[in-house]
Amino acid sequence: MELLLKVNGTAWEISARPTARLIDVLRNQMGLTGTKEGCGEGECGACTVIVDGKAVNSCVMLAVQALGKEVLTVEGLAASGELDTLQQKFVEQGAVQCGFCTPGMLMSAKALLMANPLPSDQDIRKALAGNLCRCTGYKTIVAAVRAASGQETAAMEVPAEKEELLADLSVPGLAAPAPDVDAAGPASAPPRREGGE
Amino acid sequence: MSDDLRYVGKSYPVHDVAQKVTGELIYGSDLNFPGMLYAKLLLSPIAHGMVRSVDSSRAEALPGVLKVFSHLNSPADTYCRARLYPGQECAIDETLFSEHVRFVGDRVAAVVAISQAIAEAAVALIEVDYEELPALLTTKQALERSDVLIHADGNLLFEMQIESGERPDISGAVLVSSTTATPRVHHAALEPHVCVAQGHSTGGMTVWTTSQGAYGVRTVIADLLGLEYHKVRVIKAPMGGSFGGKTEFIVEPVTAFLAHETRRTVKLLFDREECIRATMVRPATETTIRTACAPDGQLLELEATTTLDSGGYASSTPDYADHMCKKVTKLYRLPHYDHRCQVVYTNTPVAGAARGWGAPEMITAVEIHLAKVAKRLRIDPVELRLKNLVQPFDIDPVTDMSLGDARVAECLERGAAAFDWTARRARATGKGRYRRGVGVACGAHKNGQFGSFAEASNMALKMNEDGTFELSASLHEPGCGVVTVMKIIVAEVLGVHPDLIAASEADTSATPFDYGTFGSRMTYVVGACAQATATELKASILAAAAEILETPLEELVAREGVVYVAGDERRSVAFRDIARLSHMKHVPAIQAATTYYATSNPGSYSVQFAEVEVDCATGLTAVTDFLAVGDVGRAINRGMVKAQFQGAVQMGIGYALYEHVDVDEAGRSGVDGFKNYHMVNAPDMPDIDVLIVEHEGDDGPFGAKSVGEVAMVPTAAAVVNAVNNALGTELSDLPLIPDRIIAALAANEGGEA
Amino acid sequence: MSTTDVVAPATTDELVAALSLATARTRLLAGGTDLVNDIRRPGRQPDRLIDLSHVAGLSYVRLDGDTLHVGAMTTFTELQSDPLVHEHAFCLERAASQVGSTQIRNVATIGGNIANASPCADGATALVALSADVTTLDGSGRRATQPLRDLLLGSGRTALAHDEAIIEFSFAALGDEHRSAFAKIGWRTAVSVARLSMALVVRFDPVAEALSEVRVGLGAVGETAFRDAILEGLLEGRPADEESARVLAEGCADAVRRSIPGRYSLPYKERAAVGLAYDAWNALRICLPCEPAWG
Repeated sequence: MELLLKVNGTAWEISARPTARLIDVLRNQMGLTGTKEGCGEGECGACTVIVDGKAVNSCVMLAVQALGKEVLTVEGLAASGELDTLQQKFVEQGAVQCGFCTPGMLMSAKALLMANPLPSDQDIRKALAGNLCRCTGYKTIVAAVRAASGQETAAMEVPAEKEELLADLSVPGLAAPAPDVDAAGPASAPPRREGGE
Repeated sequence: MSDDLRYVGKSYPVHDVAQKVTGELIYGSDLNFPGMLYAKLLLSPIAHGMVRSVDSSRAEALPGVLKVFSHLNSPADTYCRARLYPGQECAIDETLFSEHVRFVGDRVAAVVAISQAIAEAAVALIEVDYEELPALLTTKQALERSDVLIHADGNLLFEMQIESGERPDISGAVLVSSTTATPRVHHAALEPHVCVAQGHSTGGMTVWTTSQGAYGVRTVIADLLGLEYHKVRVIKAPMGGSFGGKTEFIVEPVTAFLAHETRRTVKLLFDREECIRATMVRPATETTIRTACAPDGQLLELEATTTLDSGGYASSTPDYADHMCKKVTKLYRLPHYDHRCQVVYTNTPVAGAARGWGAPEMITAVEIHLAKVAKRLRIDPVELRLKNLVQPFDIDPVTDMSLGDARVAECLERGAAAFDWTARRARATGKGRYRRGVGVACGAHKNGQFGSFAEASNMALKMNEDGTFELSASLHEPGCGVVTVMKIIVAEVLGVHPDLIAASEADTSATPFDYGTFGSRMTYVVGACAQATATELKASILAAAAEILETPLEELVAREGVVYVAGDERRSVAFRDIARLSHMKHVPAIQAATTYYATSNPGSYSVQFAEVEVDCATGLTAVTDFLAVGDVGRAINRGMVKAQFQGAVQMGIGYALYEHVDVDEAGRSGVDGFKNYHMVNAPDMPDIDVLIVEHEGDDGPFGAKSVGEVAMVPTAAAVVNAVNNALGTELSDLPLIPDRIIAALAANEGGEA
Repeated sequence: MSTTDVVAPATTDELVAALSLATARTRLLAGGTDLVNDIRRPGRQPDRLIDLSHVAGLSYVRLDGDTLHVGAMTTFTELQSDPLVHEHAFCLERAASQVGSTQIRNVATIGGNIANASPCADGATALVALSADVTTLDGSGRRATQPLRDLLLGSGRTALAHDEAIIEFSFAALGDEHRSAFAKIGWRTAVSVARLSMALVVRFDPVAEALSEVRVGLGAVGETAFRDAILEGLLEGRPADEESARVLAEGCADAVRRSIPGRYSLPYKERAAVGLAYDAWNALRICLPCEPAWG
């Protein structure tokens, strides 16, 4: 069966069995393996994608059901290579451990924020009720979604920015016998960081 | 507590977070190769029997099917899925395919086909004739029915007894007895089990594994297939969680066999039902404890008997049981301790490694028992424990080893204060529909395998020509930040940002030998190896700098990637320049390789407090508040330490209240997916607080100790104790599903609804 | 390997044509949240799927005089947020909001939920309490309307012929004088199949302070959802007070005992039924919240 599907803004012409699931077409034919299969029965949410603005489990949806609709997967979040705010906050809040539930969590959260830009923690937990996580205990994930909505969230304490590698050679010429500091020019030390961590 | 650390103690996302949030990361289950074939297993539908015939003709006639394998055309050699190295003592009782099937889910046959769908269709066409044997579904049945042998040497797989100290005078002591049953549990890592193996035409192979011990995988596969080790390359692929369920080599041997036979690339990916039935479960246990306690709360004696259900095969259960018997004396001072344990085969799903390695099972029993003792003696549960907990640098009488800087008592005191224990405990539980209660539990775990075998790790670290670094180590990242921890440790030693350090995962062709990620050895042992390796490399860097700067080593200091002459900082050379110059002139490469031997195995500790609200009409329990306190020595990655507690508590609450894989009269589990295997989801997860206690008193890197397993050890008991406090019950048969709570309430109320 | 073919009618005429060709192995695809996984099981492969999601005019909520009409392809998310459902069938809104997760509710349909005929279907409990009728369309173009209760035969079984599709539910719209509620007990608070469910619909006259037209739907305690006449009779004419809550609770426990005698879960369910009843009663908001009392 020939299918015309619109995924992440791109039109795809796919040849698939009529009963191919949306998850199968995304992963196996479009190479969009970000969407994961954790249970195959619509319970764990790892396969969540957004279809016409709504979060759905792609493992219990046939590809034919997505005809004429806009499908958004995790690969479609980072427009032109920049992580979107939600992805940024997942990074910043430490909301990712093994990461297998992460794409599904992101898509459920994305759908929530599209419909409700200022969700309460209870709204967030309810929206994520169909996304199971075994690593994080959900706390950092809820914090990440809250932070993405612009609501106040405690930051995960992050370390200092890494310094740029030195550009200049700061040692005198190797052939020279003893180092003559003035001849070599001032050693360029890395700039002292302002402020604390 | 030293505060002059630049990187250790801060919070970092996992090293591959960017690839995870974009969906780019290729996990084991995402692996796809040109011409790859797909395997699907035929699993036994019966709990016990003999395969009398296998007719694969219809399956093999299906277009797209390459071959069907069963015991008829595969090696009959037995192997152990938990083997780490040759010569290791293991129970060797498993074959690739079973002629004697021993549980519902046992491997009977495999189809290799050009697509997953065809493989699945073909499995349905294989005709197997079984001769059923009586199924022994409980350890009691298995021990009683000596006429029905699950394995040739009998159904009692293993037994042991540990005793320390001597019975003191217990006249006048209060004797308390309790029995706790813990269930079979599904690890429920979100990514299903998977293996991809590429059979080369020359007979060697490459295997992508999502297990926790690549070298062990190689040993098992190479020995089983008669291949030389250097021809078998095992690569750790990114994985979506394990929690012990992928410690052992469940899918690797059979996948490797299929790849070897077909000389093709074969992928075996389990679905969720197969993960539940046919991989591994946390063992079901039953422990009876009898204590003699002085009226003031001093424990005089603890005697325990444990029965552990191994399921159809041994896996690692003898070792598991051994560890279960060595938990109590890590936690409490006992003048006399006597523990007998039996490990029994049954015709139920195979039990094996699970997070905590026997500690959750044993400590749940101990902590529920102590709640009963406290009640009997009318002593506050916190007070009772404070009287008996181990103190820093106590010697564990069972292992004769120091427990190190054991700060469990401090965790308990600080936690009780932070949780407002006394006030909450004093509050009435209520007699209405909703009743509140609080519970506490202490837990202990270890730091690696020192004391059990030669615990060591090997690593190599090199500086690249641009001043970045690469750590070559056989790491196995399950998702809890193992790679990140190594980077942070190396970064701290070298004085450069962790982003300048790359750390590999295991590849038997490229990374030095390490046993794997398990046994809570990663931070304490493997991390110490990283620290030692980095220290050695730093010395090499400084030595090269000394040559370059023509200055004695003692006059040099290194800071933020630059080596300075102390007192004359205009004379300096950056790491990147050292690398470059060294290549040209002094040494061809700046690198270090070390072997680190552990010489200690302290305890890690956690004390946890739970507040629950039980709906006495529906039996549903809500955990309304939770505090986890951890004696972790030093948090290397602070955010991740807290996050590990948060995740562990999710698992522990599930253990206490929701999760079990039970079997019916035919030995078949009614649980086949997440629809009927209930885990804590976001709405039901309480907002938990984590308090980290850091004393850096042991030999781990920067004083760090393990956290990932100990975090889950006391959780279930804290919740169960809270429920029993709320209801005035003494429930100890986990999980406390609504039916059990209602039954207990009804019994208490004299049967009135 | 034979493949299943999929047809996607765009109009009811095309649907009738597709239905006329249906065999016993043809299945109707509504939301798919049950079907898509089911057809992958051995022996469950259909010869054809009729995809209902593109048929115009099967998803709606309409008030026509005193009757509320709900199209079979209306999703639970749509039901949960529809103002007419809120106004005139509150128990259905509450039931819809507790079906599965957000992802499931966005796709699963009330028609699919009923046709799947799980004994635990939340939609069925609410519709049965609303005394809903169901309208079907078959391959001959015939529309038939019957009480929903008659369509549900047992666990996984309906009276639907293989060429018959549910197209609409209809019931007398609840008015200002009515109150309705839905309660459910699962294995956890969200995303759980029901172990017990109740939909309660009453006419409450605040002047006479009496309940009338009492309808109680019970789910997950029988082969199908059902209204319990005995339980309804106990409440009929009673005031809206604590004693009535107790009567409902005891009656509910009794109804459960009559419905699943000897079932292993009976000791649990007969007790949880009390909690269920109080939850439903309190959600009616016709008196101050009540609590069951135990010694």
